[in-house]
Amino acid sequence: MKAEFKVGLMFIAAVAMTVAFAYSLGAINPFARTYDLNLAYNFAGGIEVGSPVRVMGIRVGRVKEIRFVPDQKMPTGEEVKLRITVSIDKEAWPTVTEDSRFYINLAGVIGEKFIEITPGSSSAPIFRPGALVRGEDPPRIDQLISQSYGLAGKIVEFVEQNEGSIIDTIDTINKLVVNLNQVLKQIEKTTDNKEIMEMLTNLNRISADVAYFTKAMRSKEAEETVLLLKELLWRLKPLDQKAIRKFLQQEGIRARLF
Amino acid sequence: MVEALGRKLILVGQEVHDFASLLVSAFWSSLTPPFRLRETLQQLSFVAWESAPVVLLSVSFAAAVTIMEASFHMKIVVQNDSLVPGFAALLILRELGVVVTALLVTSRVGAGYAAEVGSMQITEQVEALKMLGIHPIRYLLVPRLYASILGLMILTVVANMVCIYVAMLVSQWSLGYSSGSFLMAMRAFVGLQDLLFSVIKAGVFGAVIPIYSIFFGLRCRAGAEGVGLATTSAVVATSVTIIILDFILSYIFSFFY
Repeated sequence: MKAEFKVGLMFIAAVAMTVAFAYSLGAINPFARTYDLNLAYNFAGGIEVGSPVRVMGIRVGRVKEIRFVPDQKMPTGEEVKLRITVSIDKEAWPTVTEDSRFYINLAGVIGEKFIEITPGSSSAPIFRPGALVRGEDPPRIDQLISQSYGLAGKIVEFVEQNEGSIIDTIDTINKLVVNLNQVLKQIEKTTDNKEIMEMLTNLNRISADVAYFTKAMRSKEAEETVLLLKELLWRLKPLDQKAIRKFLQQEGIRARLF
Repeated sequence: MVEALGRKLILVGQEVHDFASLLVSAFWSSLTPPFRLRETLQQLSFVAWESAPVVLLSVSFAAAVTIMEASFHMKIVVQNDSLVPGFAALLILRELGVVVTALLVTSRVGAGYAAEVGSMQITEQVEALKMLGIHPIRYLLVPRLYASILGLMILTVVANMVCIYVAMLVSQWSLGYSSGSFLMAMRAFVGLQDLLFSVIKAGVFGAVIPIYSIFFGLRCRAGAEGVGLATTSAVVATSVTIIILDFILSYIFSFFY
């Protein structure tokens, strides 16, 4: 082999490997089939160029560019100064519709930040490429912490003001627990008792029987019967002994009443 | 005693002057024609192609060790080695690939150049060149300088890629990460600039190797012992310089992140 060939081969191998490496890192992608979308944020909590974009948790693209646009205004009139351009695969594009929401989320042990897109409803129109959309600003951890400081301060204040009554309450609760404990112990003892066990077994049987009857009672026929009986009783109530006897005699029934 | 100190200082000054004049002359003649392309190509083949087997074999094992050691450490520290592919790849790209390659090329090519030029010096071939009106720096150093810079850059890229590939295989076999998850973890840490910086480092190290080798070769004293000494000095000086330059360059590159 000639030296020229060897050197050329090495050089081509190095260039090819570099290109393959860049492709595997996502730094260059000549076969990219993506659309761009501009997201507007006021706070983007750690998103960087190259951060992943996910739809329903699946990676579909990455953050392409982050720009500061001081005079950017949404159609609603809100001033949003940060514009994040993301690229989204054509395959996933139809799932991102105008009622999709764009959250900033974090994942993994290292807390990698990414943009999470919730799928929109299929009836909503899809975006045209390059549209500007308002993203959901993530909650600011520092604000949360300062708020919780305020809350903690209030709790301390409350406790200090009501120290006496709180101690009383705790004392009472303590006594209550002791009593409850005793009651529970009593119950435990009694369940060991054989008679009580029998009683419980019987109760169980009775309730099963009752359930059987009430089930029958719940039928429509039974309801009608009860209604009829009620009506009859109402009609019988104003009658005295004589009338009843007469009625029964007419019906051919001999009965000795009272 | 004062006399001895003075003599030493003069000697050191002389050496510094020799080295600086070699650097200046190398710089000047590397930018002006003639360039001796054929000789450069021959040297490039010697540096890149013929060093490739030994370099690739060594860095492959270095990559395997890196992955396994990193996993071992991470399991001790955080009981989890899921980040190992990412930062092992980063370590390979930023340091291992280029430094191991440069040191191996030093021991192979640097020693060869020093011995070659040293024996030319003691057999008065260098003097003969001068008599013919050929500048020895231009004739000997420039083709080797270009070949070494370019060759080490090419070798570094190939070595880095082979290293990462081996790291991927090892993490698949021994740690159980699929190649996909390896690439994902790598993406979280590694950027294209890491490869670029390692190639820049390779270029700088590549320049160091022939300059030292030829400097010590040209100062070679007569006899087989002299050649041996010149070779040893060249390799030691080059290795130390490479490691120090690696630190300096890493420090400079850290400002670009």
